[in-house]
Amino acid sequence: MPINTGLADTSNALLFSTVILYALAMLCYACDFAFAKERVVAEAPALVAVGAGGPPVQVPISVPADAASRATPSRWPTGVWLRAAFGLTCIGLFCHVLAILARGLAEHRVPWGNMYEFLAAITCMAVLVLVAASVKYRAYYMGLFVLVPVVFALGLDLTVIYTPAGSLVPALQSYWIAIHVTAMIIASGLFIFGAVVTTLYLVADRSQRRIAAGQPSWSAGIVDHLPKPAILDRLSYRSILFGFPVWTFGVMAGAIWADHAWGRYWGWDPKETWSFITWVVYAMFLHARATAGWRGRRAAWIHLIGFGCLMFNLIGVNLWITGLHSYAGMP
Amino acid sequence: MTTAEDDALTTLPPYSDADLSDREAPAPAGPRLGVLGWLRWTWRQLTSMRTALILLFLLALASVPGSVLPQEGTDPAAVSQYYTAHPGLAPLLNDLSLFNVFSAPWFAATYLLLFASLAGCVLPRTVRLVGQARQLPPRAPRNLARLPFSASYVTQQQPEQAMAAASKLLSRRHYRLQTGDGWVSAEKGYLREVGNLIFHIALLALLFSVGIGGIWGYKANRLLIVGQGFANTPTDLDVFHPGRLVGPSDLQPFSINLQSFQAKYVTSGPQLDQPISYAAPLTYRTAPGAPLRHYTLQVNHPLVVDSVSVYLIGHGYAPEFKITDGTGHVQFDGPVPFIPVDQLSLTSEGVIKVPDAKPAQLGFAGIFLPTAVDVNGELQSAFPAALFPRVSLVSYAGNLGMDGPVAQSVYQLDTKGLHQLPVAPRPLAPGQSIKLPDGDGTLTFTGYTQWVSLAITYDPGQLPALISGILALLGLILSFLVRRRRVFVRVQPRADGGTAVVVGGLARSDAAGGFEAEFTDLAQQFLDLHDGTALPEAADPRPGGDDEAADVSSGDEFVPRKSAVTAQARAAGPDPASAGREESEA
Ligand code: HEM
Repeated sequence: MPINTGLADTSNALLFSTVILYALAMLCYACDFAFAKERVVAEAPALVAVGAGGPPVQVPISVPADAASRATPSRWPTGVWLRAAFGLTCIGLFCHVLAILARGLAEHRVPWGNMYEFLAAITCMAVLVLVAASVKYRAYYMGLFVLVPVVFALGLDLTVIYTPAGSLVPALQSYWIAIHVTAMIIASGLFIFGAVVTTLYLVADRSQRRIAAGQPSWSAGIVDHLPKPAILDRLSYRSILFGFPVWTFGVMAGAIWADHAWGRYWGWDPKETWSFITWVVYAMFLHARATAGWRGRRAAWIHLIGFGCLMFNLIGVNLWITGLHSYAGMP
Repeated sequence: MTTAEDDALTTLPPYSDADLSDREAPAPAGPRLGVLGWLRWTWRQLTSMRTALILLFLLALASVPGSVLPQEGTDPAAVSQYYTAHPGLAPLLNDLSLFNVFSAPWFAATYLLLFASLAGCVLPRTVRLVGQARQLPPRAPRNLARLPFSASYVTQQQPEQAMAAASKLLSRRHYRLQTGDGWVSAEKGYLREVGNLIFHIALLALLFSVGIGGIWGYKANRLLIVGQGFANTPTDLDVFHPGRLVGPSDLQPFSINLQSFQAKYVTSGPQLDQPISYAAPLTYRTAPGAPLRHYTLQVNHPLVVDSVSVYLIGHGYAPEFKITDGTGHVQFDGPVPFIPVDQLSLTSEGVIKVPDAKPAQLGFAGIFLPTAVDVNGELQSAFPAALFPRVSLVSYAGNLGMDGPVAQSVYQLDTKGLHQLPVAPRPLAPGQSIKLPDGDGTLTFTGYTQWVSLAITYDPGQLPALISGILALLGLILSFLVRRRRVFVRVQPRADGGTAVVVGGLARSDAAGGFEAEFTDLAQQFLDLHDGTALPEAADPRPGGDDEAADVSSGDEFVPRKSAVTAQARAAGPDPASAGREESEA
């Protein structure tokens, strides 16, 4: 079937709007950080009850606005800037999803057949995770930090990496692309979110330790707006709890597909090798978490190494190493 | 520590998640184990888990060169190129098996050690879990308020009545119970360890499945020209990699004939040249004399005969030549497979050797252009389909050097003993000929056909590998979904005739949080069940001022506390679920 160029153009326009909306949302999140003071003022009523009976919590508490600015913490964002930021993020996400849908309809196939489409999809997933985590775990403070890399990646995607709509090479024409690549996209989105949280955890943890030791901390200004490191740590762990099984499934589905297409389920093709390495490093992270002495900072570093492997597989392997995976699909 | 505290903590040691990695049965962590015993116990956890960590790290690290350097197994041509480009370095790398990483001894050593450690870790844990599954949960600690989570209230019900109601609620929630004088102890979530063990054992099974394939399976390749056929025997296959215990007679006796090959390409737009579909209609027999069957082989649609799969993995052109030598004999007449050097345009290269030609042996090196176009005087292929096929040849005469001790590649011409013939370079159209000088003969480009390359694999470990993989995934999900936790209830008659109720709870490996919400909910249910009245916080005096408030355990980030129940979260000694420990150990 021929490519529907009208729809393909609509998709491009929608993705362009998405970037603008995300960029605006990013600015609003930043303003929220800069101007919304109330969160620091209130000493988290919710947390007082928790420490009940114990001595007052010693570490300086900073809780996201929603928790701090109201007696009953709310699921939904509070404050003008945060509301605007979250609203823009949601509208942006809506456009993002529509852009991907339009692209798929234009091409009559799942729209993840090349690097451009893949990047558009994983950023969409990352924002989806952001929105879900914001509502479920009140993690509105993540907005700025997730949107910065997303806007950057989408900017590159629309310019340098852009690939016009087209059909798939025979090797990719299989229903397994819908299963395997979709799983990889979901897992990657979760891992991206997890890596951002982990980075924040390391920053907050370092700042907290420096302050405790009476040393100056350059990041104190940012960290004041974040929850305690332990909460960040848990959020990052959660993203792996979701992401790791999905990744495992994705790698397995890829193996089954490789068996259909090339006659072996595992052949140590560079892409396979790196998804294996990524998997092993995340398994290391899970083991590190289970080992008392490796929790916290050390586990966080392993987490980031795992993410580095994921990114290398996405970018490095596509650009510098040739293999059977015709995925690279760069113009 | 007071005695009461010791008592409360006795239930905790086997409950730390590090204990999962304990290879020996856990020391009966009684009150008098002592600091040294504790240290030793902890050390063993750390070492075994640390070993696994280090080995996992080494495995990841060892895989890296396999993706960066060309590998014999996947791309032998790239390895030879590497040899040419780095003549000094390549032999060195070869000595270190770096062109064969995934079958290198050091790679095998890494994963075998890891899997030995895995077996050494998992099997005792399985035995222990079976033991635990038959035991009742431990007695309730005396002071439940010291547990990570606790709630207390008073009720007008009698102690026995309150106990019975609490037990009923807990067993309705599928907790395993032990009751004693004034206490209920309940545990749930053994499936977490079951899942974890299934996962790890399935990984072992996966390794064995891969091994089965390596022993009883085989892989082969065959280049097949349209109109030709082959039988699945070692001599009729181009490349044959049998498993360790595979003999020639173990090959399934099918045969395949290629009828034709059709490729479709994008003819316009930005994706010009990109293939749309390949199809290779063929006939096959499962054994000599068996009925003839038809199949259209396509990418992603392998042919399965007798558990052997045949895949379409490549294709190309085979120009046809007729060569008459100087004596007037036709010495060659047929197709010669040319190998694509550019996948997009299918520009292909190949050689023709005519060892029987007289007076001199003849050799030709050629380029086949499916759609030849002239770009600034240079001939190129503009499209992968054969719209305007041309062949351009360089002719040689002399000694082909084919009777040397080493077999020659049919795709390469050894020009050492040959001299180039002075033939004007002219691309040939089908039907055109070159007349060789000095009466050496004639070559006619009679036409062209196509070939496909087939991968043939037999892997009896495939199904076991699939099953292991699925089990691993299910085990993983199970262990992530379930959390093992204990809940205790203590009731005590009060002077005013009512009953004081304390509910305590702790969860192992609750790193993702969530137990607190569950506990709060459960405590609320107890309260409702008992028609209780929450005690003011002061009524529950907490000993010690060394408490670290465990804000992490406050659980689902900023969830408002139910006012009726005071759920208390604090770091309690070796409790794994609390962040206090994490911070103190960091
Ligand atoms: C092939 C190597 C291995 C891989 C890929 C692997 C992978 C994993 C993964 C993904 C988890 C988290 C899933 C879960 O909690 O169920 C896990 C947990 C665990 N693994 Fe392994 N593992 C390997 C080897 C080992 C070895 C050698 C040991 C023994 C020291 C071990 C002990 C454990 C323990 C105790 C847990 C539970 C951690 C917890 O409860 O949070 N694993 N492993």
